[in-house]
Formats: sequence, C-alpha cells, structure tokens
Amino acid sequence: MSNDEIFAAAYREHYWAVSRYVARRLDGRTSEVEEVVAEVFTVAWRRRADLPTAPLPWLYGVARNCLANAVRGYGRRRRLVDRLGHDESAHGRHIVDSPDTEAPGAWVHEALNRLSPADQEVLRLTAWEELAVEEVAVALGCGRRAAAMRLHRARRRLRAEIDRMCPPTVSKERSHG
Amino acid sequence: MADELELLRHANPVPVDGPHFGEGPLDHRAERHLDRLLRERPTASASTASSTSEPALTASTTSAPSPPRRRTRSAWGLAATAVVAALVSALLFTDQTTAPAVAAPRPLLVRADSTPVPLSTLAERARAAAAGGTPKLRKGTHVQSWSLGMSDDEPPITLPEERVVRWHADDSHTEIVVATDPRHPDRPVLGGEGKLVEDGHVLSRQTYPPSWSDAPPQSPPPTDVAGLRAYLQEAAYSRTALNTGELLDTVATLLDTWTLGARESATLARLLAGTEGLRPLGQVTDRLGRRGQAYVYEGSGSRRMLIMDLVTGAVLGLETTFRTAEPEYGVKAGDVMSYRAWMR
Repeated sequence: MSNDEIFAAAYREHYWAVSRYVARRLDGRTSEVEEVVAEVFTVAWRRRADLPTAPLPWLYGVARNCLANAVRGYGRRRRLVDRLGHDESAHGRHIVDSPDTEAPGAWVHEALNRLSPADQEVLRLTAWEELAVEEVAVALGCGRRAAAMRLHRARRRLRAEIDRMCPPTVSKERSHG
Repeated sequence: MADELELLRHANPVPVDGPHFGEGPLDHRAERHLDRLLRERPTASASTASSTSEPALTASTTSAPSPPRRRTRSAWGLAATAVVAALVSALLFTDQTTAPAVAAPRPLLVRADSTPVPLSTLAERARAAAAGGTPKLRKGTHVQSWSLGMSDDEPPITLPEERVVRWHADDSHTEIVVATDPRHPDRPVLGGEGKLVEDGHVLSRQTYPPSWSDAPPQSPPPTDVAGLRAYLQEAAYSRTALNTGELLDTVATLLDTWTLGARESATLARLLAGTEGLRPLGQVTDRLGRRGQAYVYEGSGSRRMLIMDLVTGAVLGLETTFRTAEPEYGVKAGDVMSYRAWMR
C-alpha cells in the first residue's frame, strides 16, 4: 500500500478515537472538536511518511500538539484556556453517578485537575485512551522507561489528591451508608 | 476504595459507548475532509495561492507542531535542486528535441482584435445551449493543471498534471494523476516529487471505497442560481457569502468534482453574470487550444482569469497569476500561479 492508502486506512479506523481524545480535553463541544480533529489529520497527512504501523498513539501525540497549539493560538486563546482550565462545566459534566456504585465522577476530575498537565496527560492516556505504557511513550514522544516512571509518579500523586479530597474512611462510610 | 486508575476510568467524560463520537462509519464532514486531503498535491501546500477553498488546510498550517510550511519549502528546495541537476544533465547529454518540458506556462494572451462579450450575453447563450438538455451532468472530473511550487531559496517550479476521476456504480471512485504537459508531447516533465519523469508517467492511481457524502461539493450542484450560490458557500465551508475571489476558487472545487452538464453550466454562467468584479476581456486560446472568452477578477494579491466557452458558456479554465512580485519566492508580477483546464 502507498503512504496515501495507509493514511486513508488510518483515518477511517481512528477518526472517532481521535475525536474522543480531543473531546475529552475540550469538554466534548462538537464544533471545536471537529475543528481540532481536522487539524490533527491535516498534520498527520503532511507527515504521513512517518506514520507508524500502529498509528493511534502517534495520532494522539499529534493531537496533543494540535490542542496545545490551539490553546496557544492567537484569537482562540482565551476561549480555549477558559474551557480547558476554568470552565466548571468542563469537569464532570458528562458524568452520571450510578446510584448503585460509588462512581466518583466530578471529584475525580477535580483531583486530576490539581495535578500538573504532564501528570494529567499520562493518566488520561492510560485510563481514558487505555494505552499501554509502550503506547503512552509513543504518544508522549519519550522512551518506555520514562513513560513508565511518569505514570508511576502521576498515579501516586493522583492517589494522594484523591485521599486528600476523599479520605478512605469517608469513602467507606459512603459506600456503606 | 478502587484503584486510582479505575476511578479515573469510570470518570471518562467521553466513553467509547457514549452518545457522541462512538465508533462507526465516518460522517460526511469527515469523509469530505479525507477526500480533500487525498486530493491535496504538494503544490497546493507550497503555493501561496489564495487558499480560501481549503480553509482547514490553511488553519492547520499555522498550528502544526512542526511547521509544515517550512517542511514543504525545504522539500521543494530539494526538489528544485534535483530539477536543476536533472535539467543540466538533460541539456548536456540529450539533443534539443527531447529537452524536458519544465518551462512555466506563460500567461494567456487576449486576442487584440476580439470584442469582449458581457457575461450576461454569454449566460443567455448558455441558457439557449442548455435547451436540448445535453450534455448531462456527470460526477468525476478530467482536468489538466499547471501549478507552481515555491521554495525559499530555489527558483519556483511548475508541475503539469492531468487528473481523471471516475465514479463507479457502487459509489467508489478512481483517481488517476499523470505527469504530462500537452504543450510539449513526449517530452519529460516534472513529476509530483519534482523529479523529471516520462511524459504520461502515472503519479498516482487510487481507488477510493464507496462514499455517500451528500454535502457540497459531493452532492449534485443545483440548477437554480440561489441554490448554486448556497451550495458553493457550503462547499467553501463559509458561514458568510463568498466574495468574488472565493467564489471563483470554489467554482474550481466544484469543477474538480463534477463535470457539469449544459443546465448546470447555464446556471453557473447566470450566477457569474451576477457576480461583481468580473470584467470581460476578449477572446483567448487556452493551453489546450480551445477558444474562449476571458473574464478577469483582480484580487488583492492575485488575478484570476476565467475562460468560458464562447457558445455553451461552460467554464473551460481558470488561470491565477501574481499581481505583485514575490522576490523571496523568485516570483515576478504576472507569473502564472496556477492554471486549470477542465475537459469532458
């Protein structure tokens, strides 16, 4: 297959996964998501010669840069920064706590939000995009060992934030009460 | 309490099985974007031509992680170096008759003895010509183009290509792009990578899976002027009415997708007759040897010349030239930025 055909196949296979990746970081607002995803695949198209055999983590890496550029971008800066950082509705709006579980929803987002952007991203890639450590490394553009270390540390810090917000004893009471 | 990653997993704001962005076939916007990407040739990204017809590409150019324009220019720099090397060897080791056809096309000349025909008159002719109802609208296109590729530090080069897109009964389509310059048959020409190739060299041949997009320009163009205007606006992804430059660029997008029938050509001629800033110049003979009427629109950085059939009013070609010199790209005022000639 030519580069173009490989690209077209990757586009068709991963378009929605990339859309979800972007939506998870942009409050799922359709118009913004489409715009950024279009940018992601345009960049990927220009770099199609670099497309690896398993393209999805690589596409996430491109998407991460596009989102960062979108945030830095002149004109949209304020809007996106607001949306990414301060808009209350960006966190947990889509989460519906199931009555029979202790699904934490919004407060987990809040705990996540207290971490550094780098910590947040490695955690999101693992939990939401369900990437293995090797794939996280591709998405972040670092080595496997570095990715594993980042994940390990980020998990520890998330745990600490969760415990601080919702101490284990409280959680136990909640689950039994 | 659950593992922190497990908690985070449950807090996924956009799960795979959620109401939005779930797995499935591409929607029409995604299909359209893919189609545009696959049709993008290197020259499109290297050109400074008004890119209103490709807003997504333009937007991304400014926000790519590694600046794509820079990459493109570097690529063209290399390509141009290769061309110069190839050209030198071609000139040294071959006789003149097989010299490569790498020269940029000269701007079309208007015949001095011709009388400009107002667009309204041509639109009337087109309406009369459409009375018989033939030829019919056909999806797919056949276009010969010359496009300028520019570089920061090398002379610009012009790529001549012929592109044929044919749609099949199952809604799949095949696109074939060959390097050829009909002005210089049988001579080597610049291929897609900027290398010299034999005349007729196949640059790409691709068959695309069935696509049922119903959004412009994939949907059939309407045969009423207001409908066509709205159609072109949507095809240009514009929320506001198109200015004349944008309109002409989008007409090119339309003709890169459809081979218009007599009725659609008549509608387009009426629409153009009501468009501001298109000035009749007189007769020209296009690069495929066809006689047509030229109508010019002077944009801010470029000049677009639309060539229309004298009798049927069909759009035959669109030439874009630089109005001002761009010394950093080695471009002079009046140089041809791109030229497209549509055929049946």
